[in-house]
Amino acid sequence: MIKVNHLSKTLDDQKVLTDISFQVSEGEILIILGPSGVGKTVLLKHLIGLLQPDQGSIVINGKDITKFSQQQQLAMRKDFGYLFQEGALYDFMNVFENVAFPLREHTNFNASKIRQRVQEVLDMVDLHQVESKMPLELSGGMKKRVGLARAIVLSAKILLCDEPTSGLDPIRSHDISDLIRQVVKKIGATTVITSHDVINAFRIADRVAILHEGRMEVMGTVQEVSSCQDAFVKEFLQLSKV
Amino acid sequence: MNVVIVKNLMARLNAMGEAVLFLGDVLKVIFSGRVRFSQVLMQMYYQGVQSVVIVILASMASGVVLGLQGSATLQRFGAREFIAPLVALSLLRELGPVFTAFIYSGKSGAGITAELGTMNTHEQIQATRALGVDPIEFLVVPRFLACVLVLPVLVIIAELVGMLGGYIVGITQAQLPSAIYIRQTMQSIHYVDFFSGLIKSVFFSVIVAWICCYQGFFTSGGALGVGRFTTRAVAYSYIAVLLSNVVLTMFILTVWG
Repeated sequence: MIKVNHLSKTLDDQKVLTDISFQVSEGEILIILGPSGVGKTVLLKHLIGLLQPDQGSIVINGKDITKFSQQQQLAMRKDFGYLFQEGALYDFMNVFENVAFPLREHTNFNASKIRQRVQEVLDMVDLHQVESKMPLELSGGMKKRVGLARAIVLSAKILLCDEPTSGLDPIRSHDISDLIRQVVKKIGATTVITSHDVINAFRIADRVAILHEGRMEVMGTVQEVSSCQDAFVKEFLQLSKV
Repeated sequence: MNVVIVKNLMARLNAMGEAVLFLGDVLKVIFSGRVRFSQVLMQMYYQGVQSVVIVILASMASGVVLGLQGSATLQRFGAREFIAPLVALSLLRELGPVFTAFIYSGKSGAGITAELGTMNTHEQIQATRALGVDPIEFLVVPRFLACVLVLPVLVIIAELVGMLGGYIVGITQAQLPSAIYIRQTMQSIHYVDFFSGLIKSVFFSVIVAWICCYQGFFTSGGALGVGRFTTRAVAYSYIAVLLSNVVLTMFILTVWG
């Protein structure tokens, strides 16, 4: 379970997050929506300890990760999967090497076990015959799939996805959203996704939150958020044609 | 005006402090034994191959030019047989280490900064952290160690090739007998000449590795930033090599003469 308490962060003299508090239950998919530049990625990076808050705490499975040392944070991240916006694949490794990387770093699997597990997760994200391709040879959607495969290869308990549908056409966005839901429900990961893709978020989320100017405007089920009377939320949803 | 100067000064001091902490992190990983030897070997291969041809060409040219200028000047004083010591000592004590460090920072050093910088702007360094792996250990230390190990070897190659260039000029232009040229060279070189150059090269290699890795690791500003930080890494390396050479030369001459 993830519990965020009164989180605040200022970057370059600009208040990015202000008094953010929320909880995500085990196995739940929470999607944080909001326009670009409202601090969604900054919030996500706090959840994995890539950024330290100025105030507040982040409690994951009963432990406040903001108090962890660098080594403790590195060790903690073995249980996390993080899908970066552009995939962040190592461009000096092919697809197989990229997906196998966490297994080589954190398990004692032999070569055949690694090959088998990589194949398994590539099948899961519906990628075939791409193992030897370099990231530069992949399309945006394929990069995201490989990124997702790398994020779940260690059977992540917590999955964080940063704008998984950004830069994709509506069909690919639909596919990758379905794929994420399908995969996280299969591995049972607690999932937090940031996005501005309202249509797909409403389709796959268990709960939705809307971030605006560094504050949580609303949080709840799709029905609760849809019926919210806040002016910004109404406008944001209306412009997103929901 | 004063406020701007103070702010600028503070920012520079801050950056220097950050660079020292970065070096501390790198050394901590190395001395705690968390070194990925296969990656170091791979980097040594890349960095060595990248620079060796240009180092050979430049040092051959330096040796030949030293020989030609030495021959022309020394002949005026009837001392052309001193070309051999002139070439050997100039290369071993000064030109070999300094020129090679320049070439290396312009080629492999720039490569290190551009690689790490591109990884940084494409979030690959953050991805390494997110995957529970220390990016200093995985990405920086192999490049840093490869640089520290390869540069002194390239300096030795540069010195040998440079002396060969001087030898060719000595026996063809100055028409010194080959045996005499070689004997003069051997007699003029003392262990202090060789080791003072070697010590310098090790020192320069640490400086180049430190500056280039640091600039790459903290690159920001997208593709434009990669270009800016890479240029900066090379310029800072040149300045640091030149300044530290003055200090090292003074130190070595004081201690060894």
